[in-house]
Amino acid sequence: MQALTITDEELVARSMDGDVDSFNQLIKRWERPIYALAYRTLGREEDARDVCQETFLRAYRAIKGFKGQAKFSSWLYRIALNLCRDWMRRQRRTPTVQVPEDVDIADLASAQGPVESIETLVGRRQLGRAVAAAMAGLPDEQRTAIILKEYHGLTFQEIAEMQGCPLSTVKTRLYQGLSVVRRQLEKGGMSAADIRGDAS
Amino acid sequence: MSTQHTCDDTGTLVAYLYDDIDAATRDAVRRHLETCARCRDEVTALGGVREALSAWTPAVPDLRFTVVPESAVSNVLRPQVPAWQTVPRWAQLVAATLALAVGASVANVQLRHDDRGWTLTTGWLPAAAPAPVAPAPDDTALRAELASLRQSLQALAARPAPVPAAVAAPAAGPGDLLAQVRTLVDASEKRQEQQLALRLAQFGRDVDVQRRADLVRVEQGLGQLEGRTGAEVARQREAINYLIRAGLRPPQ
Repeated sequence: MQALTITDEELVARSMDGDVDSFNQLIKRWERPIYALAYRTLGREEDARDVCQETFLRAYRAIKGFKGQAKFSSWLYRIALNLCRDWMRRQRRTPTVQVPEDVDIADLASAQGPVESIETLVGRRQLGRAVAAAMAGLPDEQRTAIILKEYHGLTFQEIAEMQGCPLSTVKTRLYQGLSVVRRQLEKGGMSAADIRGDAS
Repeated sequence: MSTQHTCDDTGTLVAYLYDDIDAATRDAVRRHLETCARCRDEVTALGGVREALSAWTPAVPDLRFTVVPESAVSNVLRPQVPAWQTVPRWAQLVAATLALAVGASVANVQLRHDDRGWTLTTGWLPAAAPAPVAPAPDDTALRAELASLRQSLQALAARPAPVPAAVAAPAAGPGDLLAQVRTLVDASEKRQEQQLALRLAQFGRDVDVQRRADLVRVEQGLGQLEGRTGAEVARQREAINYLIRAGLRPPQ
């Protein structure tokens, strides 16, 4: 019960003193968000897993040098994004979208619960695919800005510091990125309203 | 003093969309949206995009990354190198040469030449007197050469070796010689026993280290298997529950 109340800062301080268990608690807290960030940036499970692992490895090695000026999570995000950038530079390619072609109804049902209909679930899965494809076509900066804001809830200020650009640039990138995604979805006849059934 | 929002200020529109904005600016945007249908549609459309983005939810695998201290890893994974493997190769070569020389001295290697040709003998035989060789009138030079060669060989064989004093002291009796040989053999046996004991201990340690590493691997494998099986069972249970609920649902 006590472990739940320990803040990241306390765990970081203990980790800096060499407490490996505290660092492992930090990993447990943040491995899923970091994996999701890497997956949405790179588009491949194996690569996302590798980047996630490398992120924590680098963080562990550099934890003694962590100044605490930014949040620990922001620091992790920065490491992960740098690794993603390096990875993409090495691979010299744009992110790919890895989505299974077949749709397992039972899997969808178990994942989403019985509230939504099968049609809604299938539509949602197709929409997710379309979103992934549209995001993969965005420039890196726009895609990263959307991912950090939409899926990780970072503030514009945090994103600006992470991307090393003015606040206004972050907002512009977001607006442009969202507009492109919107056009792509419309081109494919996809929208959240259709999935909800609002249009009918 | 109230701020005014303009249609081309897309950055502020995005900030309003994510509610990452100060109160005064938010009010200004809200007032603007009440009168500007174009911006209102834009905000609605971008809100729809945000909703669509929420449909992209990649499945996160069971990661369970864990940092293991290097010291803990070294206890399990690093095999201990036997002490003899740390000796330089040149030192091993010198030791082997010395051992060969000592062995040759102990074995009393002798090389002789007579009418029957060259003879190589080993063992603790009494020193045989050189057989008289009938002089031949035409091989004087050859005999002189052979004699010098024999002297050289005898001098080589009589050179004192570090271990067997008995070899250099032919005057000692056969009893003393036997005792010295026994001493040498005993010492050799003791060394071999010590080496055997050391190797057995090393073998035991290696087996123990390997056993621990195997146990860790087995434990990890079982953990993964357990996690997969648990997840599979949970998924199947939920699918069955869903099918039951779907079956109970009244036809529309």
